[in-house]
Amino acid sequence: MTTTAVPATTAPVAGFDQVTKTYGSVRAVDGLSLRLYPGETVALLGPNGAGKSTTLDLLLGLKHADSGTVSLFGTGPREAILAGRVGAMLQSGGLMDGVTVAELVGLARALHPRPYPASEVLARAGLTPIADRKVDKLSGGQAQRVRFALATAGDSDLVVLDEPTTGMDVSARQAFWATMREQADQGRTVLFATHYLEEADAVADRVLVLHRGRLLADGTAAEIKARAGVRRITFDLAGDVDQDALRALPYVTSLDVSGRTVRLRSADADATVHALYGLGLYPRHLEVAGLGLEQAFVALTEAEEAKRPC
Amino acid sequence: MLNTCATRGLIKLELVRALRNRKFLFFSVLYPSIIYLIFSSSAGSAAKVDGSELTVATYLMVSMASFGALTAVLMGNSERIAKERESGWVRQLRLTPLPGRGYVLAKTASAAVVSLPAIVVVFAVAAVLKHVRLDAWQWLALTGVVWAGSLVFAALGVALGYLASGDAVRPITMIVYFGLSLLGGLWMPSTSFPQWLQDIAKWLPTHAYAALGRAIEQNQAPHAQDIAVLAVSFVLFTGGAAWLYRKDTLKA
Repeated sequence: MTTTAVPATTAPVAGFDQVTKTYGSVRAVDGLSLRLYPGETVALLGPNGAGKSTTLDLLLGLKHADSGTVSLFGTGPREAILAGRVGAMLQSGGLMDGVTVAELVGLARALHPRPYPASEVLARAGLTPIADRKVDKLSGGQAQRVRFALATAGDSDLVVLDEPTTGMDVSARQAFWATMREQADQGRTVLFATHYLEEADAVADRVLVLHRGRLLADGTAAEIKARAGVRRITFDLAGDVDQDALRALPYVTSLDVSGRTVRLRSADADATVHALYGLGLYPRHLEVAGLGLEQAFVALTEAEEAKRPC
Repeated sequence: MLNTCATRGLIKLELVRALRNRKFLFFSVLYPSIIYLIFSSSAGSAAKVDGSELTVATYLMVSMASFGALTAVLMGNSERIAKERESGWVRQLRLTPLPGRGYVLAKTASAAVVSLPAIVVVFAVAAVLKHVRLDAWQWLALTGVVWAGSLVFAALGVALGYLASGDAVRPITMIVYFGLSLLGGLWMPSTSFPQWLQDIAKWLPTHAYAALGRAIEQNQAPHAQDIAVLAVSFVLFTGGAAWLYRKDTLKA
């Protein structure tokens, strides 16, 4: 498993140590161990039911682990939150009704030991034009921005976001990530769960892939794509296609031949192509392409599923 | 405590919201006075209440002030808490530096602020329109006792808010609210009940609550039984609320 190039001497922001959480017979989180380091922007990826929400709940002290320990800034989650070191927005987080956006942001500032100026919080979340609107009259995307404002009303060291751009349109989403990058540039640690793989690819310097409550991969987006063995090699052959010979090439993980067109997947495209020429073949229209994170992700989780006995 | 400032921020906003909610204000502040006027007029306010030295107007004044305070704190707490647990607002607050008890404290404090005008308005209506006359110390003591006593029911409201959820909370609250009001003799003197019902009623916290106020009106020392009933109820309701709160926190 790959890890990011963070010096081991840096004290982690957050740590999971062999954490398990079960609901009835379902292991939502299964022996999970991981560390987050200061200044990282980390994406938590996984299909539905992978344990992302439970992981965040455990991290934030909303749920308690059956076994193992969760630590935030060297203390328990609750202590870190009370000290104002964490700002968080969850999908399941509701809002107080009967008050205006500005009033609610005012409350979030009053609750935080190191609040930012109200105008700054509102502007950052794009709420300035709707500051006087009642919270119960907001659209889904606007409510999501209010949650974001609540999570960033003060100077926190860690910002945790659960599917933060759900319900936002494309431009709002882009503006959101621009703001998020600013937060990260100021040295904050950002952890976000997302369904949008392109967001993880574009924003995160580290991607954690969660599957069935276990950590399936941990590395940069590029490393994860590579780890999934997903370089695609496509070429045409002039003569007959010897499938067995092609399948026997080094690092080939899958083969698909239609007519004279061959599509290979390889864990090491360089070695595969080299061996291909070594067979004395003359491939034409040779293309080597990396796959998107999305396909890498599917490949990773499928490979894991295939290992299961049933 | 580290975060009293945080709790104060929430109390302030809870108050702003409560004062903005006209329906709630009407029911908790004006409604008891209106019922007071209707009930006391139909009975002939100068008549004495059976088994009591008090006139109907004086007797009902304490009943309705207690009823008003009960409305404000019970309704204010139970439905709101249940609703906000469901909407996830309670969860959201747990991601902030607000101490765990701060939420319940803010709810109770804001309910108490609304219950004070409910009490004072009933007293003012009684004094001006029904010519109820008491010594200055009695007015002050009455206000203080009825107000402080409402904390017992604020705790009950919190417990109900954490006990029931969704569609269940309103009917449960209503049954408790009307049951306590009616059987506790807040609407009509419990001396008009059949004996077996009176025997039950005297153990209800609402009965003890109004009896404390009446003792002041009659210039008497409060009855030990009433104080005991209120104290035990307070311990039960707060204990229940704390237990339900902790259970909710663990599963949230």
